[in-house]
Amino acid sequence: MNPRSVPRLHLITDLTVCSFARLCELLPKLVHAGVDAIHLRAPGVAAGDLWEMAQALRRRIVPPALLLVNDRLDVALLCQADGVHLPEGGLPVHVVRNHLGEGRVVGRSVHSLEAARTAAAEGCDYVIYGNVFETASKPGAAARGLDALREVVNALRIPVIAIGGITPDRVPAVRATGAHGVAVIRGILAADDPAAAARAYRRAMDGVSDGWRFV
Amino acid sequence: MASWRGMRLRDALRLYVITDRALARGRSEREIVHQAIAGGATAIQLRWKTGPLSEALRVGRELRELCSREGVLFVVNDRVDLALALDADGVHVGVSDLPVAETRRLVGDQVVIGFSPETVEQAREAEAAGADYLGVGPVFPTVTKPDAGPAVGLEHVQRIAAAVRIPVVGIGGITAENAGAVIRAGAVGVAVISAVVGADDVRLAAMQLRSVVDAARAEQS
Repeated sequence: MNPRSVPRLHLITDLTVCSFARLCELLPKLVHAGVDAIHLRAPGVAAGDLWEMAQALRRRIVPPALLLVNDRLDVALLCQADGVHLPEGGLPVHVVRNHLGEGRVVGRSVHSLEAARTAAAEGCDYVIYGNVFETASKPGAAARGLDALREVVNALRIPVIAIGGITPDRVPAVRATGAHGVAVIRGILAADDPAAAARAYRRAMDGVSDGWRFV
Repeated sequence: MASWRGMRLRDALRLYVITDRALARGRSEREIVHQAIAGGATAIQLRWKTGPLSEALRVGRELRELCSREGVLFVVNDRVDLALALDADGVHVGVSDLPVAETRRLVGDQVVIGFSPETVEQAREAEAAGADYLGVGPVFPTVTKPDAGPAVGLEHVQRIAAAVRIPVVGIGGITAENAGAVIRAGAVGVAVISAVVGADDVRLAAMQLRSVVDAARAEQS
């Protein structure tokens, strides 16, 4: 995928924060507000239910927003997702690309500079790096900070998406590191008005120039 | 390699050993499977419930190689994508996993699909949807799968085996003492976890089970 086309505002599902029914109800508004990638992530949910969820999301997520399935290539293939987002210890990228075919997105979560380099070398379209700030989604996990994020951005030629405790207020500082975009769970799904929150992220993102990285 | 679908599947299902790291008491999957095959296991299933997939891939590659070398059916539980990545001979799904028809769409017509039905109706539907064999159980009470529910008994094996044309293997609480009855109920083989994986002597345990199954099968034919 062209690095410029990699989504910038990623929303990751978390059924403990927002029920699937409510998520489906919110989705059209969130996509309209500028969420351009939705990751179906539901650890512990059996594949049969995940497949049902994937079909429901596929019906609701339309271009330019992308539907990415976390971890499970099989579910992604069946629902014709736009791509697969792999955990750090997930399937190898070449296996995923062999089955997904052309024009699909493959990314990976990374938690260290070394893992980020490995992911880039194996052909990921992007990485999600974090947690940048402290976050309720990963209680007890120490924030890696903006400097570490900058280091990853500088070491990679593929887009880096920042995750972990990112609020709209923090977006300018995150983007100033050269990060391509942000990934959010609670910042949107736990907000009183999720659509307004998504708009705030998008405004904060678009308010910063694209920088020099892909020019 | 030639597909395992069809008649030779019945022989491949005689003694079906499922991996379980928690029961292996520190022994590697590779070691367990090596010994199980030496004792007469005809099918191996990689069942991976915890830990990163990268580790399942590493272990799976070892088992894949062992099974290929020994001419043993290699099956992956639940994760169809892992089965594809490992070029497995088969994939096994249950009622809460991906449906059989969708699984067939993913793996093509060469790969064996196993299914664990809970009812006769589900067994018939799975057969129609493209399943190649059924795992029926728990035949006897088992501690390996606490979520497996109460034992369904030999009558249930009998009912399902009579309702479908595809082969049935019994699973759950099967030992060398009761394996013969499972075959007599209509199963072509038995699937075991603890009886082999948890045995002090894995090879011996597999050998004993295999000889009981073979003797019971000979009686039936």
